[in-house]
Amino acid sequence: MLKSITKEDFFTRVGELSNDFEIIGPMELPLKGIFYQSILNTEDLYLGDGFAIEPIKKFFLEPSTRLLRYPWKNEPGVESFSPPERERIAIGVRPCEAKGLVLLDSVFDPPASSDLIPNSAPGAGKKSSNRAGSTYQDAFYTNNRKRTIIVGLACGRPDRCCFCTSLGVSPAGTTGMDVLLFEIEGGFAIEIITDRGKGIFGALGKELSEEEKKLLTSVNNKREDLLEKKIRVPESMDTIFTSDYWDKVSRSCISCGICTYLCPTCHCFDLIDERRIKLRCYDGCSFPHFTLHASGENPRPTKKERYRQRVFHKFDYFKINFGENLCVGCGRCIRFCPVKIDIGDIVDKAPLSKKR
Amino acid sequence: MNKSQIPDHSPQKNSGDRNLKAPIKDFEPKIVGFLCNWCSYAGADLAGTSRIKYPPNIRVIRVPCSGRVNPLFVLNCLMNGVDGVLVSGCHIGDCHYSEGNFYARRRFAILKRLLEYIGIDPRRFQMAWVSAAEGERWAKLVGELVEEIKEAGPNEHFGGNR
Amino acid sequence: MNVELRKKAKELLKTKQVEMIIGYQRGPDGISATPVFITREEEAENLIWDVYCVYNLSNYLKDFPGKKIGIIAKECDVRSIIVLLQENQLKRDDIFIIGVECSGVIAEHTLASGKESPGELDFDEKCKACRPSTPRLYDYLVSQKDQKDKGVLPEENPYQDIRKFEAKSIEERFKFWQEEFSRCIRCYACRQICPMCYCPRCVADQTMPTWFSRAPDLEGNLAWNVIRAFHLAGRCIDCGECERACPVGIPLREVNKKIEKDIKELFDYEAGAGVDQKPLLSCFDQNDPEDFIR
Repeated sequence: MLKSITKEDFFTRVGELSNDFEIIGPMELPLKGIFYQSILNTEDLYLGDGFAIEPIKKFFLEPSTRLLRYPWKNEPGVESFSPPERERIAIGVRPCEAKGLVLLDSVFDPPASSDLIPNSAPGAGKKSSNRAGSTYQDAFYTNNRKRTIIVGLACGRPDRCCFCTSLGVSPAGTTGMDVLLFEIEGGFAIEIITDRGKGIFGALGKELSEEEKKLLTSVNNKREDLLEKKIRVPESMDTIFTSDYWDKVSRSCISCGICTYLCPTCHCFDLIDERRIKLRCYDGCSFPHFTLHASGENPRPTKKERYRQRVFHKFDYFKINFGENLCVGCGRCIRFCPVKIDIGDIVDKAPLSKKR
Repeated sequence: MNKSQIPDHSPQKNSGDRNLKAPIKDFEPKIVGFLCNWCSYAGADLAGTSRIKYPPNIRVIRVPCSGRVNPLFVLNCLMNGVDGVLVSGCHIGDCHYSEGNFYARRRFAILKRLLEYIGIDPRRFQMAWVSAAEGERWAKLVGELVEEIKEAGPNEHFGGNR
Repeated sequence: MNVELRKKAKELLKTKQVEMIIGYQRGPDGISATPVFITREEEAENLIWDVYCVYNLSNYLKDFPGKKIGIIAKECDVRSIIVLLQENQLKRDDIFIIGVECSGVIAEHTLASGKESPGELDFDEKCKACRPSTPRLYDYLVSQKDQKDKGVLPEENPYQDIRKFEAKSIEERFKFWQEEFSRCIRCYACRQICPMCYCPRCVADQTMPTWFSRAPDLEGNLAWNVIRAFHLAGRCIDCGECERACPVGIPLREVNKKIEKDIKELFDYEAGAGVDQKPLLSCFDQNDPEDFIR
């Protein structure tokens, strides 16, 4: 269902909705950038061309989640924290980030009637048709997904780091969205995709005329052309696991966590005990201590192994387990890398023809 | 340490809530003192054996030397809801290890200014030299400290966010 | 000067004075620079030096222990090499410093706004308080004849902003830093990009004991950022890399500079002044100020 709606009507509706829902959306902080935040005044909502620094992931897989609390002395037992119930609407989510959530779903919230078979057979080779998949439902993530309606915003002006089209995401893609907004003159074209979306925006706006529809389609077709960066994504990177290519490309890496923490799909975490509370915090494969064993052994001792892991997880292992690349081409890791390492370039130029 | 000496850090009873309920005039600050083994700890001991009365708000942690005190100890105390931190060592020239307190003096001169810059009340971090013979001075110092930190009020900088 | 630079690099590799040269090359976007590691003579053709070379390459020296390394360094990078030498993290004989005259580098974040040519771009904040300068330590100097002065005189008082901030009320100050640090995502880019942060196991990664919360909340973020700055007391040479690397725009230099100002006032100490200088916190003076001690 495609309709048009004026800016005023849209913001008024969001204002009404904020009585029943928590509104999450991008907000521009002067000189700092755009951040997804809980929006208290609808005027703060930024629905322009810029991209948020952190992806919407942080409201689903949180930077730190309190899992449980251990008892103290005479207290009865382990206390688990009940997940929050308040319903939320996330506005201004980009198609790449929404697709990122769909990818995270396959790890933390896989469909119940999964046709994926758990990879339990011993010796099942990497190329086995049995995908490892996941059957684990993460209570916290699932709850965050359930209580949030996603209102997307199609991208009008991709920047030079964006390469989503190379990974099957479109700047006007609807994957993972409940509603998708397109900026048009004087307001938004609003595409309602699911019933949940219909529930909040269904009664609004007027039907688009045939002419307007045509115009929108032509604009949408152009959106993809605006992306300059296009990369070739290989089917498998198996052949270059031992290549010295990884040494070369990772040399300038400084082993910080920007690329993993800002990635809409990276989901590694660490469990931490603090003051009798068990926390789940982000962690990243780029950190030297990520794989450090208690014995002192570190299977990924240098940047080469760590960087290779990041690329392989995204473009090889995840594909084997879940059938898709774990990258949506949002460009954050390129945009914010302090030494300008370009994962797109690295994957594109990978010397796959070389034998092991 | 028995339970009464451990500040309760449980998220439900953070310092913020506790102190909001209690009127400020009844506020009894918790102070952690890092005392060097050779002078200040002996000085505090002397105050005790001489039966000098002083406020019970200070919890003493004995360290080998004021030079042993890591700025992280101070920060960790403040993060955990302690209202004030005292680092006390030998007078300059009296250090058992000759120069430990010289290093401490440099280090904490920087930390004190840094904490103030970040917006933490400078009264919450104090440093003193107390010798083994200064039992009375110790008692007086603690008295003054408690008064100052009472004025500064409860440390609510870090409470309530967890 | 790029010609001279490449010539020298080739010579060093040819004569086997160094095994590798760490320098700058033009990035894939054709504008910005990226670090490059050169081991073969023909690769030296990629070397460049201009206003886009923002990185402090001395951070990479720790990656190659025991190797003879040539490094291209501007004044601020040289000062960080000096601090590393003071702290016995490097052997002077292992490094060959190709000093480059610098008249300031660009503020990198302005590149993202679509401006490209040096004329349109701002110089980095750190360069505004610095004179166009020749490194204080080098083995070979590539002088700069073809680049013009940035035309900005160093500020009269480099700590003006710090003093202004100090004059604010304590509540205002806490609120300011609370807001700034609240955005911290604990990616530790500030630590990883810092040439001085070479601890094999950072306090932030220690778990026995855990010094401060690893969760990115107010308490942990404040402790992390305070301790990071404190551990750089007397060692930070204000290369500004931490602030440049920070993805969420926390003004980390304002904390570093505060300490820099204090140690200048208190101990008349300037980090990275010379190789023979003792590290600030591993020395003392009988007459250090102690007016804060009771």
